[in-house]
Amino acid sequence: MYLVVSIAILVTMILALVRALRGPTVYDRVLAVNMFGTKTVLLLAVIAFLFGRPDFLDLALAYALINLVGVLAVLEFIQNKPRKAETSNID
Amino acid sequence: MIIVFALFLLTLLVITALAIVQTTNLFVAVMLTSIFSLLMASNFFILDAADVALTEAAVGAGITTVIFLAALMLTTEHEKPHLSRRKLNTVVITILASLIIYATFDKPRLGDPDAPVHQHLAPWYLEKTPEYMDFPNVVTAILGSFRGYDTLGEVFVVFAACIGVLFILGVKPPEGSTYNPYRSGLKHHLIPQVVGRLLIPFLVLFGLYVQFHGEYSPGGGFQAGALIASAIILYALLEGEAAALRAVPRSVLLGLVIGGATLYGGVGVVCILMGGNFLEYTVLLDNPVAAQQTGIILIEAGVGMAVCGALLSIFHAFAARPMRV
Repeated sequence: MYLVVSIAILVTMILALVRALRGPTVYDRVLAVNMFGTKTVLLLAVIAFLFGRPDFLDLALAYALINLVGVLAVLEFIQNKPRKAETSNID
Repeated sequence: MIIVFALFLLTLLVITALAIVQTTNLFVAVMLTSIFSLLMASNFFILDAADVALTEAAVGAGITTVIFLAALMLTTEHEKPHLSRRKLNTVVITILASLIIYATFDKPRLGDPDAPVHQHLAPWYLEKTPEYMDFPNVVTAILGSFRGYDTLGEVFVVFAACIGVLFILGVKPPEGSTYNPYRSGLKHHLIPQVVGRLLIPFLVLFGLYVQFHGEYSPGGGFQAGALIASAIILYALLEGEAAALRAVPRSVLLGLVIGGATLYGGVGVVCILMGGNFLEYTVLLDNPVAAQQTGIILIEAGVGMAVCGALLSIFHAFAARPMRV
């Protein structure tokens, strides 16, 4: 059961990574990073149970807290730094 | 099973790393670095290194992103095209990579109980930690006591790094710069305000838990310092930098850095004065086990103070520079 869930989360992580790599707009990447963080939290929680170490849930908690700080920093950056073009032309 | 997970995450890690090297947009590179850090932390976790995973989460995913973005504020978003000797670079990298791959042939299998690293010191640490310290987290025992000198060195490195950044960035900004310390932050956005404010006390509480529970669960001073620093950075993001400096002024931050390093060194000196060796905690109290625990709690507090102060000083040093448009 835990195994199926963790594989499903890994697949979602790939999808988020693809979006982060391809963009094209800044907001795609920000959302992808945010989603990747959320999936990491879930993966850690599920794997903690899969390996029978539920006391490691502390880590998932730390990730959930820290991830929000990172995303808010990105949003503040985008708000303050004037951007030449809204869609950045990468890759 | 573990191997499959680890291989999968490592593959994603390599893809992300290649993309970071490839892109010329620095903002994208920062975003991908954040993903890189999350992947790295998951890998540490799967390999059962929970303390390292917690550090990577607290420092890599949170604070590094914030500091990278603060640095990006001071520069342009696109990497300048650089004229490099591509052929020479490729040759050097190919030679080095094949040397490293050749060296891995001699490496013991992952998790091999006969590997040299599991023969010599590790069993001794595992055996002696319950006897000397009487708490379950061997990592804390090694960091705080068995290899206390190394950790002292790390704290001094953090101290030196903080001073170095302040030396370079702390000079007076040029005339007519656009820096405004009363920049609003995310003050006018309702949802981040409400959620963020709610979260700050819990972040600090969790930091303190990690600090003082480090003997029993993953964590310790380093992770706690980073968590508490990120709580104050969150406050700075929500209320503007000036408000964060009002709450925790620069003098307090520098005091924390200096006080933390001094506390660690001071415990060592007190041990000498009480008739032991430098950082030999057993002489601190009559009961050697309680003395070890007291010593470790004291030096972990020093580590936490130094890391928290240094990270926040660096953050403020970046934020105080004029933004480059």
